[in-house]
Amino acid sequence: MSTTDLPPLESASPRPSGSGRPGAGLPAPLLELRGVHAGYGGIDVLRGISLEVGAGEVVALLGPNGAGKTTTLLVIAGLLEATTGDVLVAGRRVNGAPPADLARRGLCLVPEGRGVFPNLTVRENLKMMTYGGRSMAQIEAVAYDRFPRLADRRGQTAGTLSGGEQQMLALARGLATDPALLILDELSIGLAPLIVEELYARVAEVAAEGVAILVVEQFAEVALGVADKAAIMIHGEITHQGPPDEIRTVLPQTYLGG
Amino acid sequence: MNEDQDRVEQFRTEIAAMGLRDPATRRDRSLLRVGAVLLVVGPILTIAAYFTSHGTSNPLEQSDAQVLAVIGLTVAVVGGALFARYSMAHFLRFWLARLSFEQSAQTDRLVEALNDKT
Repeated sequence: MSTTDLPPLESASPRPSGSGRPGAGLPAPLLELRGVHAGYGGIDVLRGISLEVGAGEVVALLGPNGAGKTTTLLVIAGLLEATTGDVLVAGRRVNGAPPADLARRGLCLVPEGRGVFPNLTVRENLKMMTYGGRSMAQIEAVAYDRFPRLADRRGQTAGTLSGGEQQMLALARGLATDPALLILDELSIGLAPLIVEELYARVAEVAAEGVAILVVEQFAEVALGVADKAAIMIHGEITHQGPPDEIRTVLPQTYLGG
Repeated sequence: MNEDQDRVEQFRTEIAAMGLRDPATRRDRSLLRVGAVLLVVGPILTIAAYFTSHGTSNPLEQSDAQVLAVIGLTVAVVGGALFARYSMAHFLRFWLARLSFEQSAQTDRLVEALNDKT
């Protein structure tokens, strides 16, 4: 036998319910990072990151370009292994777990830059998500219910969609996998404010259904509008964590070094 | 709302049931391989030293070959020790786990029997 099952960690003490969302008071966070270090080719990009996301909670990870936000998400999704520290999903240490195994069980990463297949139609892009065993009918029902605009464009190739529609498609693909833990990388990048508002309204709806959501954003205000808590990341370290109002007060000086 | 809780619980259950490698086993496997390699390299060095010594009448070169032979023996012994240590850990791990499980099951049976008597 070449694998050894690790016992689940003990649950933390019950957390106070900070929001009315279902699952927000569950004892153990669905995602936890403890002192995570990671990098590329010997260069340390993440320097001791610690973060928690509970079920039904939206956590915003903010920071300027090059802070290490996307690297954090890659570590969580299993696409990059942490050099030290623990990545815990549902209380279980998953360092080194195959990303496909985590994805199949309900961890979904919507990458920066949307990641849609530009030469495939909207419907064909959604069809890519049938790997998890869900039927095309189920996937289309989820996608078109959330984003009716996609239903009108189901036969259109994804590369000809507007930026906002491509982002809707990317988010719809993620939601079609019925995730329990959803990770969104730079949802707003290159999009008009109205589209960003609409996307984050969908994010808030999804969180209200009990999904744990970690959002990475450069543009803080829109993410803080839906987040239960936020963290600021600078040069691979989390410098501040707390409720959105608290983060808003420290954000300017953190970004500008005041 | 119940469906959402079910989804979270299903996620927790599936993650808990995942087969994940213990990081310690990676180190153990690496050292096991190192031991196996040294176990092979050691005798090869020793045999090479023998032929080196046999092929010369120069006492200095013969002394060098003797040193090489001793090094080869040392390497073989170290390799053997590493191999034995980490292969035992690999096999004994499952034996210990089974022993622990059986002892726990026996304790449960004893407790159940005592409770039935009382």
